[in-house]
Amino acid sequence: MIVTTLKRMAWALLLLMLQVLVLDQVHPWGYGAPLLCPLIVVTLPMGTSRISALLWGFGTGLVADTFAGTPGIGSAALTFIAFIQPPLLKLMAPRDSEEELHPSFSTLGRWNYLRFILLLFLIHHVIYYALESFSYAHIEDAVISLGVSYVVSVLVATVVEYVRNPQK
Amino acid sequence: MHDFIERITAYVHWAIFLLLEVLSGFMLFQYNHYQGSIWFTQANTVSGIVHEWEAQVLSYLRLPAENAALVRRNTILQQQNDVLRHKLQAISAPPLEQKDSTKKDSPLGEGYEGSFIPARIIDNSVRKRDNMLVIDVGSEDGVAPEMGVVSGTGVVGIVSGVTSHHALVMSILNSHSSISCRLRGTEYFGYLKWKGGSPLRAYMDDVPRHARIHKGDIVETSGFSNVFPAGIFLGKVAKITNSDDGLAYKLEILLGTDLSNLRHVNVINTPDKAELDSLLAQ
Repeated sequence: MIVTTLKRMAWALLLLMLQVLVLDQVHPWGYGAPLLCPLIVVTLPMGTSRISALLWGFGTGLVADTFAGTPGIGSAALTFIAFIQPPLLKLMAPRDSEEELHPSFSTLGRWNYLRFILLLFLIHHVIYYALESFSYAHIEDAVISLGVSYVVSVLVATVVEYVRNPQK
Repeated sequence: MHDFIERITAYVHWAIFLLLEVLSGFMLFQYNHYQGSIWFTQANTVSGIVHEWEAQVLSYLRLPAENAALVRRNTILQQQNDVLRHKLQAISAPPLEQKDSTKKDSPLGEGYEGSFIPARIIDNSVRKRDNMLVIDVGSEDGVAPEMGVVSGTGVVGIVSGVTSHHALVMSILNSHSSISCRLRGTEYFGYLKWKGGSPLRAYMDDVPRHARIHKGDIVETSGFSNVFPAGIFLGKVAKITNSDDGLAYKLEILLGTDLSNLRHVNVINTPDKAELDSLLAQ
């Protein structure tokens, strides 16, 4: 129990560092930076209690926000996807899967897992950019930022997942 | 009864979900008064240390480009200095006596008596609607809110909050930023504002229609506020368009400072600032 929690914390820390130290400095074509934090929520194993999932989402968002100077934005978006991740995972997992299934390309199937990532990232990004551009005069800019960041984020997330769990 | 409790506990996660979202919303709105919320930003101690470490690595990687820009800027200033000195000598018949050294070295505009506090940017963003940056000097180094921040290539922003070793700076790339400026050599003034999009383009509003403006005219600080002395370079006029109401010109300004690639800045410490502030408060 403690070991798995520590492992997950190390994983979250790794992704957060990647986010803060590398991705926050990248602005593809001058638009929104890729956001990798949703991957921490995406990879929560099946059987995680709803409450602990929410706390993981909120906590991750809080840390990411503090470093990026966007209090409330990331935590709101991540809490939301942490709320829908458990039922969505149950829906997408194969019926005969083990109780503590860890979402990955090998356990969910390549296409299924990609769909899972695409969906959760989309919801996260829409909330994130909607909140960030609360007072946006140029709505087009927000939409372009959302699109660019979404595509790049999913690409980075896919690469990270392949590195974490190499396919044979 | 047992059934009732079970049913309640089954929905506890809804309550927690709503609670956490409300908490996020609270932080979001609190942040709008960014001056008051410095503890929850990049300038707090923990993230300050991490960003500082990161900035150290990055500043090494970007040294060559930074150096090149400095050298270029230096050369321009030297040339300008030379031209001006000759002009001055031509005008005043008796040869000029050397002024005291503090004023002679001041690279900034007219009547400038402040000093610089050199600083390094440890966190910066240009992609948001309201961009802020964090510098590695704070109240213990003499930095106070409302002080101006400049780089070798022009205005960077205004200090909006300080902790003991860090300061949060409202970048000119912020929807709340508004810097009093004028066209060099004229008395036409206005406010420089950024409206999102490219970090190199800002706008100067409310320039009267009878003003004679050309592309490439230099926009500088007006010195009306006590944040920046007059004559600091802001950018050049890139495009002349009509204002939204059609009564004035709206100038698109190509900013002189590329904030997305900036490491070293100076905070302007205006010595008579406290005096001016108390005067304005009256």
